[in-house]
Amino acid sequence: MIYKNIVCTLCGCLCDDIEVVTEGERVADVKNACEFSRSKFLNHAKDRAKHLIKKNGKLVEVPIEEALGEAAEILKKADFPLIYGLSSTETDAQRMAVELAELIGASIDNTTSVCHGPTIQAVQDCGAAKCTLGEVRNRADLVIFWGCNPAEAHIRHATRYSITPRGLYTESGRKGREIVHVDVRETKTSKMADIFVKVKPGRDYELLSAFRAAVKGYDVGDVAGVPSETITQLVEKMKSCKFGVIFFGLGLTMTGAKHMNVNAALRLVRDLNDHTKFTINPMRGHGNVSGSNDVMTWCTGYPFAVNFSKGYPVYNPGEFSAVDILARRECDAALIIASDPVAHFPAQASEHLVRIPTIVIDPKINLTSLIAKIVIPSAIAGIECDGTAYRMDGIPLRLKKVIDSEFLPDREILKKIIERVKA
Amino acid sequence: MNYMKVILISGRTTKQGISLEMGKTSEEYSNNVAVIMMNENDMKKIGAKEDEHVEVRTKFGSAVVRCKESRIDRGIAFMPYGPWANMMISADTQGTGMPNYKGVEAKISATDKDVLTIANVIERIKEIK
Repeated sequence: MIYKNIVCTLCGCLCDDIEVVTEGERVADVKNACEFSRSKFLNHAKDRAKHLIKKNGKLVEVPIEEALGEAAEILKKADFPLIYGLSSTETDAQRMAVELAELIGASIDNTTSVCHGPTIQAVQDCGAAKCTLGEVRNRADLVIFWGCNPAEAHIRHATRYSITPRGLYTESGRKGREIVHVDVRETKTSKMADIFVKVKPGRDYELLSAFRAAVKGYDVGDVAGVPSETITQLVEKMKSCKFGVIFFGLGLTMTGAKHMNVNAALRLVRDLNDHTKFTINPMRGHGNVSGSNDVMTWCTGYPFAVNFSKGYPVYNPGEFSAVDILARRECDAALIIASDPVAHFPAQASEHLVRIPTIVIDPKINLTSLIAKIVIPSAIAGIECDGTAYRMDGIPLRLKKVIDSEFLPDREILKKIIERVKA
Repeated sequence: MNYMKVILISGRTTKQGISLEMGKTSEEYSNNVAVIMMNENDMKKIGAKEDEHVEVRTKFGSAVVRCKESRIDRGIAFMPYGPWANMMISADTQGTGMPNYKGVEAKISATDKDVLTIANVIERIKEIK
């Protein structure tokens, strides 16, 4: 079978032009995909998890009913359960996870807390002049990548939206766009840019603030390793472009000033709108991390780090975000779904997952499943089950199923756990 | 022992992204993620050549990884996201929810020790007191 216009859920670009060729129950070929996407589709059957429960220190295979029943018992008994992950699954599963969190009085957090959590905090503080990737493709003549490396993380972003495509008002494609890359190191993205600006590590806030001052007409001198002339030249380009956009990544959210870095970038863009049309967008990582914020916001009013122990949702990053709850050893059980904290959290936070009963729902064997009490395998959203995912600019796209799977979708697994918790 | 101080940054690489889809227990994943990228002069300073082992230490932990030459400024070193970099990162988020994954002070020295396997990493996590 040949499936056209399939959405790839690997990164926040959600490329929706993938062609997948299947033979029986395997993916035989993938077209239009980047290297990540090819690897995801072609290796979908590799390294799959099984239904496992730890007995006498060893994970042993059990029937699905036993794994679901035991998981429900653990969550029911827990005083302070944590539900974490959500960004690699589809929106119905995310909604069910919130329902479960409310039912058991859990803290629920998605991977946003360790990617663009600071971005959300900054947006809540001062708002953001955002736009869709379609608008960038059709209108942007100045594109600034700040603290991000799309050439290695969002591989087709450049050709589909931001650097080379020809659009309605960008008929000349690459020639009509000026590309700037601001980062602490030269990467493959710098090679695609017209101008590379090297900022000293941890000094982004200073540089962004200097840009704001320069936009207002002040002479700022050399700042954060960037010469005064470069700042003046860039500010002129920003003020005189027709449609500018800043795409920023974890270079702003993961260093020193975190949400204040992003805050400065958002305010710079707000200032630039006194002169021209300027927008700013976060480069969201996981395929549906943006959806996890939207779904949690519909359901609870808040995008991540939400606690239900009082029976109603309370939001507080730093208190109810997963790394903090684990580092303070507060939770007494954890349900990890569609993410792998042991691979991506500081070891001192992962360590608590070893101490408590940890339940992992994931299609693949991952590092968290190696330390789990219960492992429940699931179908891969966008390959083995349908659903909805939100692109990095907040556009929802429908995911299709191209392969029949022996595994249940995450939403079905969560529904069965909820039924057992209620029973 | 020759060591040097660097600012450690962790981030995404293409190889890390591709190999994690092949499975995090795969050899490809370890080969592509248990690495540190350094300026060639910094490598000379600590006496390490391409693919040789180095020990990276911060206030929060340490790991042995292979070093790779990269076009990166002196005094900065880069590691792909993953369990090896995580050994060196603090879980203190200063009330934001976000650890400092980028911009951690680290010391790097050449070593004869073996690179930690995934199984070793899991054992190390279990041993944290």
